Amino acid sequence: MDNRIEQDALIEDALKSQPLAPMPRSITANVMSRIQVEKRPALVTWNDFVIALVIALTIGAVYITVQSLPPVALAKLRIQGILLYQGFIVNARWLVPALFFGLAALFASLSIPPLLKMTTNDGR
Amino acid sequence: MATSEQILVQKAQKGDPEAFEALVNEHQQYVYNLALRVVKDENEALDLAQETFVRAWTALPNFKGQSQFRTWLYRIVTNLCYNRLPNLRRSLNDLGDDVMEDIPEPHLDTPAQIFEDSETKQHLQDAIQSLDSNYQLLITLRYQNELSYEEIASTLNLPLGTVKTGIFRAKEQLRKSLAQLEESWITA
Repeated sequence: MDNRIEQDALIEDALKSQPLAPMPRSITANVMSRIQVEKRPALVTWNDFVIALVIALTIGAVYITVQSLPPVALAKLRIQGILLYQGFIVNARWLVPALFFGLAALFASLSIPPLLKMTTNDGR
Repeated sequence: MATSEQILVQKAQKGDPEAFEALVNEHQQYVYNLALRVVKDENEALDLAQETFVRAWTALPNFKGQSQFRTWLYRIVTNLCYNRLPNLRRSLNDLGDDVMEDIPEPHLDTPAQIFEDSETKQHLQDAIQSLDSNYQLLITLRYQNELSYEEIASTLNLPLGTVKTGIFRAKEQLRKSLAQLEESWITA
């Protein structure tokens, strides 16, 4: 048995001829009884309905509030909004780009590692 | 995946328990065998196999058919094994990937002749049984569940090089065991 090829062949055949371990008993009945008890989780749960309802109500409330405001108050709000934006531009000009780059960095850190992993697995 | 199995999977996804029962009957022995080789305990392996199919039933609506049903099952049972053996995942990752070249499968012309010596065969079977769980997992997926290296890498979420390295090292251990047997013959 000095020949490495012969050894490899022996090992390969032992691996291939390894029998499947016999099951002491079938698990089908147990599995079937458990899946009758443990119902599948619904794709849309009550939580999803409640969250959707709250979001819809909030959007509706904002819309109705805006519609029911007197035109003068609306105009004042708009002016305040413009002043706030101007204030940002003058006093915190780096805030918007910093936020933008921060979000981009966060997105990159979340998405690049899994993509790299996928590429590594596929490439080899 | 065979067409009939695809139909069974689709029916089970819609909630047909009979179709799922057929799938359990078809795959339970392979799932049990894989669990047994890794955890090396009959009762635990039965528990794991049962849990695998219960989880598969729950997650079946999310199964998109991108992989074969059986490899999807093996992924579930492997994840359950990781939970039972916390060091298993780390020991697989620690294998590294130094065997990058393709490993040729040795061609065996006359296995019956080679295995005339039943002592050698028994010795090798025992050596396979005593391999560590990480090697058992790779070897079982490759030779008993007949997955390709790529399928094993995808199932275990490991780099392909790590899978090749693991199987190569498992065979190296078997080769050493064979050499020890030879030595014992010489000294006897």
